Amino acid sequence: MYLRAVSINIDDSVLVRQSQSGDTDATERLILKYQNRIYNVILKMCGNPDDAAELTQEAFVKVIESIGKFKGRSSFYTWLFRIAVNLTLNHCQRSARTSARSLDAEDRNQEGTDRQSLRDFLKDDRAVDPALVAESRELCELAKTSLLRLDEPQRAVVVLRDIEGMSYAEIADVLNVELGTVRSRLSRARSNLREILEAMLK
Amino acid sequence: MKANPNIDELLCSFIDGELPLRQQTEVRRLAARDPEVGQRLRQLQNCKILVSAMPHAEAPGEMLERIRVSLERRTLLEEPPAARRVSAGAWHLLLRKSLAAAAMIALLAVLGVVVYHIVAPVPGPGTPVPFADSSGGERVVPVASGTATAVADAGFAGRLELRTGVFPQADAFIRTALEDYGVTASVEADADGSARIYRVAGTREGLTRFVTVLGSIWDNFDTTRLHVENPQLYAEAITVEAVTAKQAAEIVGQENTKASLDQAEYYAVRNEMPGRSILSLLSDDTGRVGELATIPKPTITGGDDPQEKKLAPSEGDAQASLTIVLRSSK
Repeated sequence: MYLRAVSINIDDSVLVRQSQSGDTDATERLILKYQNRIYNVILKMCGNPDDAAELTQEAFVKVIESIGKFKGRSSFYTWLFRIAVNLTLNHCQRSARTSARSLDAEDRNQEGTDRQSLRDFLKDDRAVDPALVAESRELCELAKTSLLRLDEPQRAVVVLRDIEGMSYAEIADVLNVELGTVRSRLSRARSNLREILEAMLK
Repeated sequence: MKANPNIDELLCSFIDGELPLRQQTEVRRLAARDPEVGQRLRQLQNCKILVSAMPHAEAPGEMLERIRVSLERRTLLEEPPAARRVSAGAWHLLLRKSLAAAAMIALLAVLGVVVYHIVAPVPGPGTPVPFADSSGGERVVPVASGTATAVADAGFAGRLELRTGVFPQADAFIRTALEDYGVTASVEADADGSARIYRVAGTREGLTRFVTVLGSIWDNFDTTRLHVENPQLYAEAITVEAVTAKQAAEIVGQENTKASLDQAEYYAVRNEMPGRSILSLLSDDTGRVGELATIPKPTITGGDDPQEKKLAPSEGDAQASLTIVLRSSK
């Protein structure tokens, strides 16, 4: 806890320099600072806690092994997420078929119980209260399910924006795409999410 | 409202705060004026809220340890290949060195064999073979071989070296015996007259009798030595030290050369055995104990009935020759 508190207050560039000079404490502080955020993003992208833990571990190992080559042209934050997201995208592409099968099964199980909650959510007569959504286990499961129905590039943009809270520029940096691509991809992703949720009611 | 990509992008950027202030104002105005745009804005906004409201998951508590273990494992997995490469290189080098050494040894061995075949003497039949005797010295003896028949046909040739304190008497005795036993001989004397050389030739039987006769004055010889020549090429003579008259007669009287050489070899070894002097005092070659304990006086034989005793060598018998060197021990 002490390390976590301290590491948050230290600038990344300082920790990176210390880590590059062989300071293992600095490396550990960087890990502690970002491990939850990386794990959360990866989990939302891949949907499996075990895979997310494995990918988080692999991402940090890659970062530590490559930190000597980090030149600082982008921020450490976006560099770290670029590694993590690329690993996750590759993993998701490899296991796309398996994930689709598991999602189909989850959909059948959730059908009925979540229908009313979803119907209320899709009324569109007003903006929903984020606190109420967060308290609704059914809506969170629906969000997870619908998110995993998106294709990987769209899912990545949504997760980085709506979960990690990155700016469009940061997303473009992480995904190594143009800013306009981020904008259009995010727009299509939210539109598709809406269609997926509507499709669940039919 | 049907999705319009351009409107959706604008609305999403508005929702995310990615629009300049002027465009934000325009979007608010548009959404207020157009219900469909307003509805679409709420739909997209709710999607964002739905995703954003998902619970935040935390990484497993052992993540730091897992990363540390993974790094250590990778380090261990990466090192062995390098070690194997070094090890393989070392083994390869060692193998090459070993093969080079083996090739060098084989080459030297082949050269050694070739040189040996070129320079080594061709061993003839009966080539002497050295062996260590009981006194630690080296003795040369003829090798028994399949050429025994050739040796047997060569007759006998030897030299008997005698030293005596009664040189004139012994000389006279030998001269007389030569005349009596029908062997041909020539006598030479050295310059100062202290030695005589008798070159005796005849049949084995005649020479055997002559040597036997010498036995009657044998005790007057201080040293006796018999050299038996080996007719084989490169073969050395066999020397019998302290030879007795009986032994000399036996050696000369054998049926063939090989037998004479074998007998000479036997006595050469026997006479050099420790305790032989004591043994010789107790038993001579005839087995009669104590006979030699009494010193017989020299008996000078006369020329009685020389014609009866004279034995001419029979034609066809293998010839025997014996050179007697008599020296004065004074």
